Order: sequence, then structure tokens, then C-alpha cells
Amino acid sequence: MLKRPLATRAAVWVLVVIVAAVALAPWFGLRDPVEPNLGMRFSSPSPAFWLGTDHLGRDTLSRLLDGGRFSLSIAAVATVLTGLVGTAIGVLSARRGGWVDEFFTRTNDVLLALPEMVIALFIVAAAGPGTHSLLLALTVTGWTPFARLARTLTYEISGQGFLKAARVVGCSPQFIIFRHILPHLSGPLIGQATLRFGQLLISVGALSYLGLGVQPPQSDWGAMLAAAQPHAERAPLAILVPGLAIFIVALCVTLIGQRITELAGNRAITAPRTEEAHA
Amino acid sequence: MFAFLAKRTLALVATVLLASFAVFLIPYATPGDPARKIIRSRVAGDAIDESAVSSLTTELGLHDPLFVQFHRWLGRFLSGDMGLSYSSQTPVVEQVLPALGITLTLVVAALGVAVLVSLILGITSGLHEGRRTDRVITTVTQALIAIPEYWLAPMLVLIFAVKLTLLPSAGWVSGASLVLPVAVLAARPSSYFTSAVRSGMIEALDAEHVTAARSRGLSYPRTIMRHVIPNGLLPLATLLAVWFAGLLGGSVIVEVIFSIPGMGRLLYDAVLNNDIPVAQGSVVLVVALAVAITTMADLVHRTLNPLLGDNRA
Repeated sequence: MLKRPLATRAAVWVLVVIVAAVALAPWFGLRDPVEPNLGMRFSSPSPAFWLGTDHLGRDTLSRLLDGGRFSLSIAAVATVLTGLVGTAIGVLSARRGGWVDEFFTRTNDVLLALPEMVIALFIVAAAGPGTHSLLLALTVTGWTPFARLARTLTYEISGQGFLKAARVVGCSPQFIIFRHILPHLSGPLIGQATLRFGQLLISVGALSYLGLGVQPPQSDWGAMLAAAQPHAERAPLAILVPGLAIFIVALCVTLIGQRITELAGNRAITAPRTEEAHA
Repeated sequence: MFAFLAKRTLALVATVLLASFAVFLIPYATPGDPARKIIRSRVAGDAIDESAVSSLTTELGLHDPLFVQFHRWLGRFLSGDMGLSYSSQTPVVEQVLPALGITLTLVVAALGVAVLVSLILGITSGLHEGRRTDRVITTVTQALIAIPEYWLAPMLVLIFAVKLTLLPSAGWVSGASLVLPVAVLAARPSSYFTSAVRSGMIEALDAEHVTAARSRGLSYPRTIMRHVIPNGLLPLATLLAVWFAGLLGGSVIVEVIFSIPGMGRLLYDAVLNNDIPVAQGSVVLVVALAVAITTMADLVHRTLNPLLGDNRA
């Protein structure tokens, strides 16, 4: 499906390799990513430590793959959560109309005007740091692009003949939504989800970087970056590598997401912020 | 227009009120005795004995219904009394206002840089649609979206402050300390602005009045300057507002990395240290500012584009 442009194909392969490496890391026989090894602090890359070690003598490669497990899975869960919540709200708003629609459109406007990071800090302040409040914060702030897209598309197809026919034949509203509407939305929504995954990956890293997400001794890419920062001069690789990982994954999913969106033939989605401004 | 104005203002006030109520509830919603937390924000000093707590609870009206308390809290807040910071035991206002000034400087400077960059890149790439210049610019700006600020910042520090020693690595002392934070903050909006200007230009180049101007004999450069660029810039107006709100939040990371004593850093420290009054003050202020700017941008957008119906009101 994603064949033609070379860039997309390359992006798919890079992503497959990264995800496979992260998923299979426990079987590679790497060093413990958490246990300090003070004798080996600030090692340069060598056959034993491909990417060198950090300020506590921990193997950067092993920390990178271990951190990727948290970063990628949290971003994936956040994408699915925001996608489900947003789609449900969007479809419901469009089908119900009236005060339901009004309420969610207003909420959406308000959330758009509020700085995401401030809401996230507020939630973490109330619920305490950790993966759960991280997911809560990302879901509260992240459902809106999905809702807007699902609402617009549902409106667009609601006027079409086959939906009226389905109603006339006596299909229940649930049946219409699940069998007739959702399949029509799936293409653009999957494209949107792919694009959002990249942005959520960056947001997960940001909150963890600030110490509000994944808690030590575990660390995702963002927390890894934060831990390495005071020692940037002596162990530059420990800080270069996790950021590069986030960048590469985010870039690849953006390329893939744009291609899916193109194939889904939808003009309504472009880059998230641009789309928000026009919504 | 008047109905629209009234509706928007009402929505603005309602949003800020709702946000303030959520913020007001923090001491009640977080673990611990709310009365003690509130007393701490009114009276300097941590160690208050039990008898003082009960008399102060009555004195401050903490037995009153929640809405009565909210009303009183909001009234004090609006008159500039935001309580005392737990950590410094000085009035919150005295910390919040200077910090807000610093953050605004950062945000406005970053937006300015982003607009400048996007005008140059967006116009160039829009005029050369599909050619090599356009492809290079588009690719670079798209890659920029995927760069996390918390990585770009330490990398720039490593290059410009540590290796080349051209710029300070952190702090808020001279004009030079602005350069790196503003560059980091401007990266992402530059990218979105550029693509908006680019598509605005391409759309404007296609418009009939441009063809008409050219066939009237207006020279190419004059057509571009008078008819294409002004229309190509319209999308920027809305984006600017959205990003103003976005950067108010985005500056948290940049301020923490570069140790800039702005609003983001203040809020972040307040969250980490459980300094409730400071967190309350900064959240309400930032939210009010962000919502006000967005509302203003909506008004500007409608003035510039009278074709918009009342449906967004």
C-alpha cells in the first residue's frame, strides 16, 4: 500500500528496524540498563560499549533500547486512547447535534486556547508524577484533533444516500455507526493517528524530561536525556542518541502518516497545528 | 458583529472563571488538610499550633460553603492578592509579574523570529513551487517539526556555548542570553508558519485577480508585492494566535533548560515543590492571557475576512 515514494518506503523500514530492536532487546544479552557500573564511567564507544557509557557507567546502547520500550509504548497507548476518545466524541457530536455538539465544540475551543504543557503540569500537580498521570494529561489535551476530524467527516457522509437508506431499512443507530460510518472514517483517522503518534512521542519525552513522566530508576528517552544533560561535555553520546531516536521515529511516522493521509484522499488533515488553526 | 463580540467575550469570561475554579480547588483536591494549606498561603511561617489553626480557620471563613470561599478567593485574586508563596513566604504577585514579563519577551521574540524566517522561506518556496529550492525548504521545515526542543537545546548549548564559547549556556543576564532560547523556541513555529505562507502564496498565485493584474500589464515583481504576498500572509494571522498560546506552554521546557526565571520555570518549580499559591497564580495568569489572545485573534480574523459567517461565534 505504501509503495510509491521512496521516502515513505525508507521510513517504514527504519521504523520496523527500530521497533524490532527495541522489542527484541531483552534477548540481545546487553548489559543492565539501570545498574550503575562506576568503574566504567564516561567510556568512549568501543566493541564492549558500542555507544559508550554515561556518567554512572551504564551502557548507552542498552539504555537506549530499554528506554525505547517506555517511550514507544506510552506514545502508542496515548495515541490509541486519544484516538478512541476523540473519535467517539466526534461521531457522537455529529450524529446527536444539539447541545451535545455545542458542549464538545466549546470544550474543544477552550482546550485549543490553553497551553498544553500548562494543563499537563496542572494534572501532574494534582495527581502526582508517574506513567498514569502522564497518560491522563496526554489524553485530556490530545483528543481534540481526532474529534474535529471525526466530526467533520461524519457530517460529510451523513447526508449521503446509503445512510438514509440504512435508516429507512430500520438499522439501529449503533449499527449505522459501527457498520457504515466508522469504516468510512478509518483511513483518514489512521493517517491522523500516525501523525499524532510522532507528536505524542515528543510530548511524552518532554514530560519525562521534566521528571513528570516515567520515574527513576526506569527511564524513557526523555528521562535519559535529562539524566545525561549535566554531563553533556564528557558523555555527549548519552545525550545525542536518545534525542536522535525520538527525532528519527517522529520523522518516519510523519512521513508515513502524510502518505496514508494522501492515500485516504482527505484534504482535511495536514500537520496538526496547521489543521487546528483552520478547524 | 456586536452579537459575535458579546458571545466571544462571554465565552472568554466563562473559560477563565472555569479555569480559576479548577485552580481554586487544588488545595482541596490534593492530599492533606486544605485548611492548613490555605492558612499557610495567608500567614507567613510554617509551624502554627493547633489552637491557631482552628481560630484562623474560622477567621478565614474556611467553614463557609465552597462557592462562598471561591467568591472571596477570586475577589482577592483580582485585587492582586494571590497569597504568599510557601517557599519564599513573599507575596505571589511579586514573583508572578516579573516572571510573566520575561516569558512574554521570550515568546514575542520567538514569534518574531518565526515570522521573519517563514516570510523569507515561505515566499521563496511558494514562488518556486515544485522546483529544487521549494523541495529543499519543504524537507527541512518538515524535519524541524520532528525535533524535540529538549534535544535541540542541549545540542545548541554544546555547540555554541561549550565548544565555540560564543554564547552563554544559561541564565538571563544580557541580550546574548536570549539567542539560544529564542532559537529553540522559534524552531517549531517557523516550520508551521513556513508551510502556511507557502500554501497561502501558491493559492494566491492561482487567484483570478492576479491573472487580471498581470494581463493589465502590471509587472511581475509588482504583482507579487501588491497582490500575491498580502493574500499569502492571511493564514499567518490565525496561526500566530494559536502559537502564542502554544509557546506560553512550550517555554516551560526552554526556561527550565536555560534556567530563565520566567513563568514556565516558576510554574514548574511550584509543581515540583508543591508550592500551591504560586502554581495557582501562574496557571490563572497564563490561562487568562492565552484565552484573551485567542479571542482577540478571532476578532482580527473576522475583521480581515468578512465572508466568515456567524457560525464560529
